[in-house]
Amino acid sequence: MKKLSFIGMIAGLMVFFGSCDKNNEKGEESTSGKVIIQFEHYADGAPLVYDSMMYVNEAGNHYEVTEIQWFISDIVLKNKDGDTLLLDKDDFAHYVDTNLPDTWVWEIQDDIPATEYQSISMTFGIKGEKNKPYMFTDPPESDMLWPYPLGGDEGGYHYMKLNGFWVNTNNERQPFNFHLGVGQERDGEGNIIGFIQNWFESELPSSAFTLSDSETKVITIRMDVENWWKDPNTYDHNIHGSKVMQNQEAMRMGCENGRNVFSIGSITTKPVP
Amino acid sequence: MERIIFILKIFPLAGLLVLASCNPQSVNEENPEPEPFSPTPYEFPDIPYFPKNFNIPDDNPMTVEGVELGRYLFYDGRISGNTDKDMLMSCSTCHIQAHGFEVGINHPKFKGGKTFGLPTPEYPEGKPTPNFMMPLVNTVYNHNGYLWNGFVNESNDALGNPHYGVPAREPYNYKNIESLVWMAITAPHEMNSTVDRAVAAIAAVPMYREKFKAAFGTEEVTFERISKAIAQFVRSIISYNSKFHKYLRHEAQLTEQEQRGYDLFFSEDADCFHCHGGSVLMTTNEFFNNAKDSVFDPDEHDRHWVTGDPMDIGAYRAPSLLNIELTAPYMHDGRFKNLDEVIDFYSGGLVYSDYVHPLMKNVRQKGVQLSDEDKMALKSFLFTLTDYELINDPAYSCPPELKEWSGQVNY
Ligand code: HEC
Ligand code: HEC
Repeated sequence: MKKLSFIGMIAGLMVFFGSCDKNNEKGEESTSGKVIIQFEHYADGAPLVYDSMMYVNEAGNHYEVTEIQWFISDIVLKNKDGDTLLLDKDDFAHYVDTNLPDTWVWEIQDDIPATEYQSISMTFGIKGEKNKPYMFTDPPESDMLWPYPLGGDEGGYHYMKLNGFWVNTNNERQPFNFHLGVGQERDGEGNIIGFIQNWFESELPSSAFTLSDSETKVITIRMDVENWWKDPNTYDHNIHGSKVMQNQEAMRMGCENGRNVFSIGSITTKPVP
Repeated sequence: MERIIFILKIFPLAGLLVLASCNPQSVNEENPEPEPFSPTPYEFPDIPYFPKNFNIPDDNPMTVEGVELGRYLFYDGRISGNTDKDMLMSCSTCHIQAHGFEVGINHPKFKGGKTFGLPTPEYPEGKPTPNFMMPLVNTVYNHNGYLWNGFVNESNDALGNPHYGVPAREPYNYKNIESLVWMAITAPHEMNSTVDRAVAAIAAVPMYREKFKAAFGTEEVTFERISKAIAQFVRSIISYNSKFHKYLRHEAQLTEQEQRGYDLFFSEDADCFHCHGGSVLMTTNEFFNNAKDSVFDPDEHDRHWVTGDPMDIGAYRAPSLLNIELTAPYMHDGRFKNLDEVIDFYSGGLVYSDYVHPLMKNVRQKGVQLSDEDKMALKSFLFTLTDYELINDPAYSCPPELKEWSGQVNY
C-alpha cells in the first residue's frame, strides 16, 4: 500500500511538473546491452537435412531425422570475476521446435550489464524443481508433457523429442523416438519406486564475449545431432529400440553424451538499423 | 511523512477534477445521444490447466448476445434457405449435442454415421460429405486449422467459391469458423443453398429482429452477421468437465481399471498421449499419418493436399478424444465402428508405409501389443473422457421454440 501511494505521488508530480524529468537522465554510469539467442541443428558438420536416410552414427546405424523438439533453460553468464548472472529468471525456459521457425530465436528480455563475459552455460531440459506438470497450458509447449506416471511432480515436460528412423537389423526403416526426460527407478518387479533427474548443465566451449553499452549480441547455439549417440557411450538403436522413456539406462547414456552436443555456432553483434 | 504523500497525491487529482467539470458535454443533458450499442463481452470460465490463448478473430469479438443469436441460428433449419419441413437442415442436423456435436453411429437417417447433404436433382439421396464428422468442442483453442486436413486456417488466402454462388471476396474466405458457416450452407454435400437464400429465410422470421439488434446494434440481417454469430456460438462450446478433467483437478477418483488405462495411455505402453494427450484438450491438433494404410489415393484430401509436402501423405489431424464414446464411427473415413476396433488397430493392426509418422514407433511390431486386460483398461479410461455436463448443458441446447425447425430427426 505504501508503495502504491508513492507511485501515485510520483505520477502526480509528473503531471504537475511535466518537464522536470529531463535533467535527471544522466545518473550513475550503468550501461547495458541485450542478448538474442538463436538455435541451429547440425549433423556431421553441416546443417541438418531432414527426412533423408543419409547419416550414419558411431554404432553404424543409418538414420534420418524427422523433427527435434526440446527445452533449453537457465542461461547463465559468467563475468571475468567469476560472478554468475541467471538471465530471464521468471521466463527461464525456451522451447525449440525444428518445425516452427518462430521458436528458433529466444530474445532475452533482461538488460544485461555491459562487460566482459568468460562463458555462457545452459541447462538441457528443465531442472526438476521447476519442471512442474501442467505449468504450460498452451501448445506447443504443453504438448511436451512428460506423463505423470513416468515423472511425478518434478518431471513435467520432455527435455527433448528427437524423432526419426533408422535401418534396423532386418534392413527395415524403423521409427525411433529418442525422448529424454525424467527416468524411473524400479524395484525387482518393475514397479516405479522413484524418479531420476536427467537434465544437465552445459558450459558452452568458446563462449567468451564482450558486451558493450547499448549493443545487442546474437549468440547462436548449435546442436550437433550425431553427438547424442557417441562419447562417452556408443548408442545403438538396434539395442535400445524405438522408445526409451521407460528405459533409464538408455536415457542416462543419451544425457551423458549430451554434454558434447551443444556448442557456440557464432557470436555476432546485431547491426543497428 | 505519510500525510505529505497523501496531500501530494490528491492535489493533481483535484486539478484534474476541476478540468473535467469544465467539459461542456458533461453538463449538457438535453440532447441524449442514441442509446449506445454495448453488448456484454462473453467471458470464458477460468479452467485449471486449460489453454489461455483463444482463436478468436479480431473482427468478431465474442459477446453474450452474439453467442445467444448464434445458438438460435445453429439450431434453425431455415438457414438452409428452405421452409418446407422436409427440407430443413441446420448445423444441428449433423452436429448433435448428445453425441459430442457429431452425428453418432445410430442415427436413423445418416446410417452408420455417414452424413450427406440435402437432396438435389443430381443426388436425389443427398451428396455424401467427403469425410465423417469431427467433434465441435474446444474449437476455440485450436490454432492449427480446421477440418481433418487443416485446410481452413489463418494463412489460407483463397477467397470465395463462385461455383457455389459465393463471391470471391471478403468476407468469404477459408480462414476460420466463420468460413465454415458459408461452406456448410452452400456446399452441395451439406445444405446446398446460397448465402442470399439463407439471409432471406432468416430475415423473414420476426423473432430474429431483436436478436440481431442485441448482437450487432441494428436489426439488419446480413450473411456476415449470421456467420459471425454462429462462429461465436461454436467457439463457446467447451468441454472441461469429464471425469478425467475432474480427476486432474482432484475432484474425482479413477477406479483401479480406469487408472490402469490412464497409465497405459500416458506412457509408452499404449503410447496415445504423444498425439492425443499432452494438453488437457486430449489432442495436439497436429497432423499425423497413423499407419492405417500402405497405399494412398493421390486425390485424397489429406494433409498433403493442403501442404504439398510428401511427408504429409495420408496424414490427418489427430482429433480430440474427449467424448470419444459418443462419436463413433472413428477416423476420417469412419472405418472403425467402435472403440474395440480402434484399440485392436493400435494394438496389432498398424501397417507400414514410407509416410508413417515416427511417433507410430511400434509400426514394425504392428502396434503396441496390449493384452486383453489392458485393452479393457484402456477402453475404460477412454470412457472417463465423456463430459456429461457438456451434453446436458442448456446453454448449448436447442431453444424450445426452434424444436420443430431444427431439421433434426426426432428419435
Ligand atoms: C451434412 C452434415 C453437416 C452439416 C449440416 C454441418 N456440418 Fe459441420 N461438419 C460436418 C462434417 C462431415 C465435418 C468434417 C469435415 C471434414 O473435415 O471433411 C464437419 C466439420 C465442421 C467443423 C470443423 C471442426 C474442426 O474441428 O475442424 C466445423 C467448425 C463445423 N463443421 C461447423 C458447422 C456449422 C457451423 C454448421 C452449420 C452452419 C455445420 N457445420 C453444418 C458435417 C456437417
Ligand atoms: C502418431 C500419432 C497418434 C498416436 C500415437 C495415436 N493416435 Fe489416435 N489418431 C491419430 C490421428 C492422426 C487420427 C485421425 C486419423 C484419421 O482420421 O485418418 C487418430 C484417430 C483416433 C481415434 C478416432 C477419433 C475420431 O474422432 O474419429 C481414436 C479413438 C484414437 N485415435 C485413439 C487412439 C488411442 C487409444 C491411441 C493409443 C493406443 C492413439 N490413438 C494413438 C494419431 C495418433
